[in-house]
Amino acid sequence: MSADLHGSQRAVETLVSKLRRRQVVGSREAALETVLVLRQVVSKARFSNIDQLISLIRSVGKRLVEAQPKEHSVGNTVRKLLHHIREEYNTAMTGNASSSKTVYSISNFVLQGQPRKQNVAPKSEATLTLKENDPDDPDSFARVLKPVLMEAIQDVLDELETVYDNISKNAKDHIHSDEIILTIGHSKTVETFLKVAAHHRSFTVIVAETGPSYNGHEMARALSSAGISSFLVPDSSIYAIMSRVNKVIIGAHAILANGGMFAITGSLLAANAARVHSTPVVVCAGQFKLTPLWNLYHDFGALDFADPSSVLGFEEGNLVDKVDVLNPYYDYVGPELVDVFITNDGDHPPSSVYRLIKETYDDDDHEL
Amino acid sequence: MPPKSSSSKEKDLTDEDEVLQAVILADSFNKRFKPLTSGKPRCLLPVCNATLLDWTFESLALAGVQEIFVVCRSYPELVKAAIRDSKWSKPSLGLKIVSIITSKETFTPGDAMRDIYTRGIITSDFVLVMGDLVSNIRIDEVVRVHKERRRTNKDAIMTMVVKPSGVVHRTRSKGESAIFVLDAETSECLHYEHVTGYPPKKHAKIPREILAEHPEIEIRNDLIDCGIDVCSVEVPSLFQDNFDYGDIRRDFVHGVLTSDLLMKSIHCYVAREGYAARVADTRSYDSVSKDILARWTFPLVPDDNHPGGHSYEHIRGNKYLAKGNSVVLSRTCKVGSNCLIGAGTHIADNANIQASVIGQRCTIEANVTLRNVYVFDDAHIGAGSVIEYSIVGSNVKVGEGSTVARGCLIGDDVILGKNAKLGEFERVSRRRDEGEADESDKEDEDEQSEDSELEEAEARQDSESITAIIGEGSNAIVWPKGPRADEEDLDEVERYNNQRLMRIGDPASDLPLEYEGTESDSDASERESDESDLEMHALSRISSATSTSAISTSTPGLNIHTLHDAAAYSEFQAEVTQSLDRAFAEGHSVDNAAVELKTLRMASNVPLRKVREAVVASIVERIEVVEGDAAAQRREISKMVGRWGPLIDKIGGVDPVETIEVLQYHCAKSARLPLFGQILAALYQDDIVEEDDIRAWHARPEAKGEGLKDTSFAENVKRCWLVGTKMIEQFNEQESSEEESGEEDSDEEEQPSKKPAAATAQAAVGKKEESSEEESSSGDDESGEDDSQDSEDDAPATKAATAAPSQPSKPASTPASTKESEEEESEGSEEEESEDDALAPSQPAASKPSASSTTPAVSAAPSAPPPVPAAHAPALVSSTAAPAQPSTQDEESSEEESESEASDKEPAQTAQSQAPPAVASSKQPVTAPSKAESEESEGSEDSEEEEESEDDAASRATEPVPQAQVSTPKASTETARPPATITTQTESVATIPAAVPRPRPGPDVVGGQPLRPQQAAWRRHSIHFGDKVLKSGTTTGEKARRVVTTAGRQMKKGILTILRRNEREKQSTR
Repeated sequence: MSADLHGSQRAVETLVSKLRRRQVVGSREAALETVLVLRQVVSKARFSNIDQLISLIRSVGKRLVEAQPKEHSVGNTVRKLLHHIREEYNTAMTGNASSSKTVYSISNFVLQGQPRKQNVAPKSEATLTLKENDPDDPDSFARVLKPVLMEAIQDVLDELETVYDNISKNAKDHIHSDEIILTIGHSKTVETFLKVAAHHRSFTVIVAETGPSYNGHEMARALSSAGISSFLVPDSSIYAIMSRVNKVIIGAHAILANGGMFAITGSLLAANAARVHSTPVVVCAGQFKLTPLWNLYHDFGALDFADPSSVLGFEEGNLVDKVDVLNPYYDYVGPELVDVFITNDGDHPPSSVYRLIKETYDDDDHEL
Repeated sequence: MPPKSSSSKEKDLTDEDEVLQAVILADSFNKRFKPLTSGKPRCLLPVCNATLLDWTFESLALAGVQEIFVVCRSYPELVKAAIRDSKWSKPSLGLKIVSIITSKETFTPGDAMRDIYTRGIITSDFVLVMGDLVSNIRIDEVVRVHKERRRTNKDAIMTMVVKPSGVVHRTRSKGESAIFVLDAETSECLHYEHVTGYPPKKHAKIPREILAEHPEIEIRNDLIDCGIDVCSVEVPSLFQDNFDYGDIRRDFVHGVLTSDLLMKSIHCYVAREGYAARVADTRSYDSVSKDILARWTFPLVPDDNHPGGHSYEHIRGNKYLAKGNSVVLSRTCKVGSNCLIGAGTHIADNANIQASVIGQRCTIEANVTLRNVYVFDDAHIGAGSVIEYSIVGSNVKVGEGSTVARGCLIGDDVILGKNAKLGEFERVSRRRDEGEADESDKEDEDEQSEDSELEEAEARQDSESITAIIGEGSNAIVWPKGPRADEEDLDEVERYNNQRLMRIGDPASDLPLEYEGTESDSDASERESDESDLEMHALSRISSATSTSAISTSTPGLNIHTLHDAAAYSEFQAEVTQSLDRAFAEGHSVDNAAVELKTLRMASNVPLRKVREAVVASIVERIEVVEGDAAAQRREISKMVGRWGPLIDKIGGVDPVETIEVLQYHCAKSARLPLFGQILAALYQDDIVEEDDIRAWHARPEAKGEGLKDTSFAENVKRCWLVGTKMIEQFNEQESSEEESGEEDSDEEEQPSKKPAAATAQAAVGKKEESSEEESSSGDDESGEDDSQDSEDDAPATKAATAAPSQPSKPASTPASTKESEEEESEGSEEEESEDDALAPSQPAASKPSASSTTPAVSAAPSAPPPVPAAHAPALVSSTAAPAQPSTQDEESSEEESESEASDKEPAQTAQSQAPPAVASSKQPVTAPSKAESEESEGSEDSEEEEESEDDAASRATEPVPQAQVSTPKASTETARPPATITTQTESVATIPAAVPRPRPGPDVVGGQPLRPQQAAWRRHSIHFGDKVLKSGTTTGEKARRVVTTAGRQMKKGILTILRRNEREKQSTR
């Protein structure tokens, strides 16, 4: 048993160092890795009541989040998992009886917490009687609950794996024929979204190069190989062509509780240009990017500064000493610049993101 | 999705059965960080608040290394404890760290490698790093490349990681760098040459075979050696076999590459991405810290993956504050950009902190100013102190109002009293208690040798002045500054002047160095035109389009040049005055001062006469005027002249006549006019000028002040001349037997140059050089000069010297030189001959009778070559000065008339610079250039061809290549293949002229490829210097038989030549 614990501990440490060394990058990949590690932790864990389990997961989650505070999807995944575990536990403990409906009213709306999810029928019928802190058989609680928990974790995993398809479900409703779409960066979500839409509509995509990473090049290549007519334009001409663009579709790194978001550098430029021309800005992002934080834009470091080498070559010895290069990886795009978020959980305006967050996570977990 | 997406490599490695091993040499084997490292090893010094060892571990862990051996020598217990307490020894990390303690007799990395071998711990390919590495390079990628290569080539024993940086880069050590010659395709390291910053290294020798065997090579002097080597198992055993290998680079790499027996190869991995650098000295400590704060090491940055496990918050302007609200910043304090402040540090009101790193739990009191300071943990900086460009050890207490100037190192636990004033580059450490001192005596030898320095420091602590430095109540001792007494025993790299290039905050601007950092526009344009010139040459089909473009690039270059020269003169004047002042004040040896002047001259590109003027002026101005007491005055003069007079002859050429003239003109301007006679007498006494010289001078029109406007200056000149007249009268009286009169002084001049003695030959060389230079620069008074070398029947030289009178001057020196070269069997002479042969036939006036033997400039193939820098100086000067001063062309052309300006500079330059002699064929005296048809003259024909094509190219590009010369040996069958000499400006991107090793056509074989001139196709060596790709040509022809025996003989001779040459050069650089 201790060996197992050791094993899961090892897995955590490995992920921690990978996150620190940026060997795991990208919000979806980080989220997936987190789920896998947590599954291992839960499956190996010994606990005789729910609090033990939750504090264990929280401690692991804290460790992972601290390893890479800028990869928000790690924390989100942990929170979501905790939420699911609590839900399963509640269902198991009280059976169907718990779904006694409280009356919605403005007065208790906030306290209410999760208005929708509580109505969902429990996934598994826990017929076995659950007993916490059984002194005769301390493992019985874990034994009974674990299969249910594993199922819940599997749900999270499945959701992550199908996130692109679910987001793209409604793609054809958002894009009309002969539209000109502008996008920036290389977001997998946006790529899938556009590709799915291309099955039903014919439209044109303008891809900004997205310096200094120039991910736009890959994006343009990927789109045109799928038969979408695409143009690659330099970032500097985003404003100039904006008047001809019907829609701006971009991805996000993290969606904040206020409806703002972090997205790849250049997104703010595109969003502002779109605002001037009143072009709608559509953000495609999975639910796992919903982050229960909102004042991060005060935090300069949250933009995650990469090394200057993509801006200023290390060979430029004369300049290296004299020039301070800032190479932020993300832009903070405020809620006023975004028109709609398309998630795997439906479409939402920025103003209702806070509600989504409330539904998805438990309030207790905002600080891990 | 942040950058650096690089995953899954690790899996591959772990999947392999073999465990990836790494060896860290955790000892520095030098003392550059003293006194910070007295009491702890260098690898435990904090960089950005994490020990160097942590950074190194992190760099290795990033690569998925699983087993690390840490070789420690000094303070092994501390290292062991540090490893034990660090996060690295946690089992969950899956890192196995073994510390190995080597004996105290381990003085070099080589010894450590031998120790590793005897322990037999290495089982497979391993990563060898020094314990001061900061890197985010994917070493696993390097390992993969290495292993792949090993699969096909078992002899590839090592892969060095290098990182391209600019020519000038803060992280690139000026004091210690290297030239790598790489195969462009395989990046095999073909040649490695270590470069020291001081004395500046100007030559790199590249074995000819390399050029022959590899179609494309890169010669790079812009690489940072990251100190990461992926080695195979054989490497430690090679160290074992070669007990004299000390340094891994200078001895091992160089040894393996130059060895004919080992047949091993070493490759380089040029890391395009990622960052890697060593904290090898205090300067790189500074630059690496700055690189970390500027996030070059991302993701190894304080706020992301701090190796020490601290967490920092990244604030606008690359400021990093420890998280957790433990840092207390006063409301009025200023923290500038690029700062890192550790946990628990308090910063009081109005403190100003710029670009500094402050450790944990430090206290910075009110009104303190810190600029570029590195403060270790627990330090206390008293109110009002000012510290700049320094490193402050842990637990140091700096008293109120102290000043610490740039470059200071303050050892751990030092307490500086109130108002301490540390001067620049002061090093202080804590005074040891009696008991401690006794204890350390028992310690090993090495510690003792370092202690001796310490004791010496302790011994001189009593004086009052020391207290003024360190303040009242201090426990500090001040370490001695300047070079150590046993300087000569030290390794070249570790000598004081070179170390100056490696210490923090030392701009070393007073050291005569050359590097491209000060490269001016004209240089750039020059290089540009060179490039196009070479390009065309190499292509050998010259389209009109390219040629016009070349002209257009060269023309503005010319204009800029003139301006630049004028500026350079004035700058030079100031520089010389400064450096002489220093030399006088600090009592340098004459040789050292001379070297300094030479380098200055090269740097500023001025003719020799200017140097002479400056030297003479300085000496004269130094003489104290003693009123009234003639004897005392004479003593004063003779003291001065006796001490510094020899310098006049050591600046690169000997020309007493000019010396006198310069003296005269200076005195005429100076307040020391009355001293002229006495100074002249003193010079005469010290044999700096001879009687004949005085007469020669006296006879010149300039000496009489002719042509000068009738001012007081002219009057003074005249007065000096009269003094000379008196002197000559005296001579005449004394030596009545002497019949020569002032009118015949040209004859007198002639005599010494005919003497075969080596010394005279050298003098002749000097004269030769000077004269050519003078011609190109001032061009006013070399008629006398010419005379001195001309034959007796030469017409009295006038300014309107034409080709006719000047041509015969060459035969005059010929006999001497022929003798010389025969005796010496110097190949250098041969090389020059080939160059000059090329010249001779192309001169229409070549119908001179005696020209059939050898050529004039052979006199520059001396038995005792002039110091190398000296040889180069004129080359540089002439090559650049010539196009800039069209007014002097007449003079030039009188020498080598028919040639176009530029091209005629080129061979001259080559001839001069090829001073180091090599084997000449005595059996096959280079019979000369009755041109083309005959078999024997093939060589000359070829070189003529070369000359012509150079000419072509040069006339388009106007300017010849100044920076690099590759000798073109006249490869007769006897000729060995000498290493091509490539001159580089030390830290620079060097260019290689069109004349890159072009073997002579004929039946002989170079690199297995026989050559024929007529159908010579140009094979191109593209040579990468920095970013520039230069093309140069080599002839190849159709195949012919290979003469094996000849090749063998050549090889033997070649080795001899190299050895001899090396020896000479050593002598000459000294």
